[in-house]
Amino acid sequence: MLEIQGGVWKMIVRVQNLVKRYGELLALDHLTFTIDEKEIFGLLGPNGSGKTTAINCLLALLAYDKGEIEIFGRPMTPEAYELKRQIGIVPQNVAVYNELTVYENIDYFCGLYVHDKKLRKELVHEAIEFVGLKDFRHYYPQKLSGGLLRRLNIACGIAHKPKLIILDEPTVAVDPQSRNKILEGILQLNTQGATVIYTSHYMEEVEQICSRIMIIDKGRAIATGTKEELKAMITLGEKITVESQYVTESQLNKLRALPNVISADYKNKQLIIKSGKGSNNLELVLDFIKKEKIQFGKIYSELPTLNDVFLEITGKHLRD
Amino acid sequence: MWHIFVYRLKCLLRDKESLFWPMVFPLILAMFFQLAFSNLNKGEIFQTIELAVVENEDLQNEPYLKTALAQASVGESKLFHLTFTSQAEAEKLLQENAVSGYLEVTGKQVKLFVNDTGIRQSIIKSFLDNYLQTAATVNTILAKNPQKPEQLLSRLSERRQFVAEVSGTSAEPNSILNYFYTLIAMACFYGGFLGLNEVSRIEANLSPLAARVNIAPVHKLKAFLAGFGASWLLHLTEMFILLCFLRYVLQIDFGPKSFYVVLTTIIGSFAGLSFGTFISALVKKAENMKIAILFTVTMTGCFLAGMMYAEIKYLVSRHVPVLAYLNPVNLLTDAYYSLYYYDTLNRYLQNLSVLIIFALLFCLGTYLIIRRRKYASL
Repeated sequence: MLEIQGGVWKMIVRVQNLVKRYGELLALDHLTFTIDEKEIFGLLGPNGSGKTTAINCLLALLAYDKGEIEIFGRPMTPEAYELKRQIGIVPQNVAVYNELTVYENIDYFCGLYVHDKKLRKELVHEAIEFVGLKDFRHYYPQKLSGGLLRRLNIACGIAHKPKLIILDEPTVAVDPQSRNKILEGILQLNTQGATVIYTSHYMEEVEQICSRIMIIDKGRAIATGTKEELKAMITLGEKITVESQYVTESQLNKLRALPNVISADYKNKQLIIKSGKGSNNLELVLDFIKKEKIQFGKIYSELPTLNDVFLEITGKHLRD
Repeated sequence: MWHIFVYRLKCLLRDKESLFWPMVFPLILAMFFQLAFSNLNKGEIFQTIELAVVENEDLQNEPYLKTALAQASVGESKLFHLTFTSQAEAEKLLQENAVSGYLEVTGKQVKLFVNDTGIRQSIIKSFLDNYLQTAATVNTILAKNPQKPEQLLSRLSERRQFVAEVSGTSAEPNSILNYFYTLIAMACFYGGFLGLNEVSRIEANLSPLAARVNIAPVHKLKAFLAGFGASWLLHLTEMFILLCFLRYVLQIDFGPKSFYVVLTTIIGSFAGLSFGTFISALVKKAENMKIAILFTVTMTGCFLAGMMYAEIKYLVSRHVPVLAYLNPVNLLTDAYYSLYYYDTLNRYLQNLSVLIIFALLFCLGTYLIIRRRKYASL
């Protein structure tokens, strides 16, 4: 049973068979997913995969051709003001007024949701503290760096303490310091009880903060689950890289014949061996190198990433 | 709504463009107009003609000429300022351009000497021709009927008007006022830039900011009306500053109907803003393209209303009268001029009614376009 008031609901978002076309282009192809309360749900996909389109449909900004969208158990429409009051959006492009100061911008957007002046003042101060813009509250946006501007963009979206926060690529063109601050902030918001939808094409970020991830490509959901579940879907268990000056074709063939080895390639003076799931892959490779007397510099092993998941399912890299 | 209204007003007051185009630019233009046109009316004011008359014996034999000259040289609107002098001095005055010409009576002949051709010389010649013609007529009549010369002479000076001139106005015609009135109309329609902005800030497919506002739990129309209200208030303030500047600094005459001048400005400002919102909603192009279209349409309207060349207004009214009524800038200009020139309000009300209809159509068009709640693409 879903309740918007009374404090208990489990499923926050339900999207069923969402289809969106731009003329001939199928932007969303029967997209289906659900998001539970207090999740950080990652929408991961390359640029143009349909992430922002999905978000805009979710927010009832875009008309769609088919499908159903429910938020807090109710159909999401442009007139669903009670639902909108519970949602905070941080758009991909910074959307603030250049004529207003940091404080005024946050107060303006917060005021669209919260009418009580006293409460609003408290919320605005909290949001400024939260994104670390206290020293910049009287600055105009033009005076802020890219990272600070992104933080302001976030503050404008979360000041009214929404139950559902949608962040659409909030770290694009942000310096590492601000990026970490933003990611920490999202985790903190989630800890405070907010459900988060986080879209990005940066797999590291999604892996770092999301409790569940949906990988999307060409408008289709190609895999959904926790990062562990997604990685478990693929055959790759380990990737071993050996920096070596010379490896013969015959040695490569022998490597490929080793147990649990999926592939072995030599490119740019790097021998890359991909193995299936197992516990002694590195040991096998080291024994082989020793036996074949292959000269090497560094050797390191990596567990599969979401990019590997995407690569194995679609045949291309996330940032292609 | 009040929250949005206050913040929109703050934004507008801090936005240099929204202050420059509807207010600062027309103020600068008004000063240029004043510099350019301040001498225009002076050319239409008649100035007494300096005329020298050679004082000699032959002149004494022409008492009627002396009387006619004397009559033309008295009163507030006298034709000549006479200088009786010698022939040499008269010639010298003519060479120095101190007089426009001089008269010399030689025997029975009256000669006119001028150095140039022009309106003053033509007036002197016309006066002289008139005198000579009348003198010849009198001589002819007296030769045939010599009985009552006094009666004839008294009737000669009698001028009877058979056509009565009735003025429809108590105001003086003023050719430069139309330029200033088109300037005010232009400033009103420059409010369109503010209106254009308001639509851009509410249509989610036009800016990320608008998308953000659309996502908030605020009725789109309410948000639009709050922004429009703020823009209108600012624009009205700008317009009244412009009016005060024109009236009290440049001394532009608006006639005695101040209330109607204010009313016209309020409606003109509303029409300008609503025109901008309509163009912005209608044109599905980038903002720069919308601005270019709005600017072109407004300036074309100003041109046809006589801003750059006053005659155009009359040419349009005479040859394509429909265009005069389809041009809101012209309607506004004409409303101001009607208030100044006509004693009755008929023409003014006609202009204002059509302008109000236009403004309402612009509002309706804007509403029909922006009322949609979802977009096909962003």
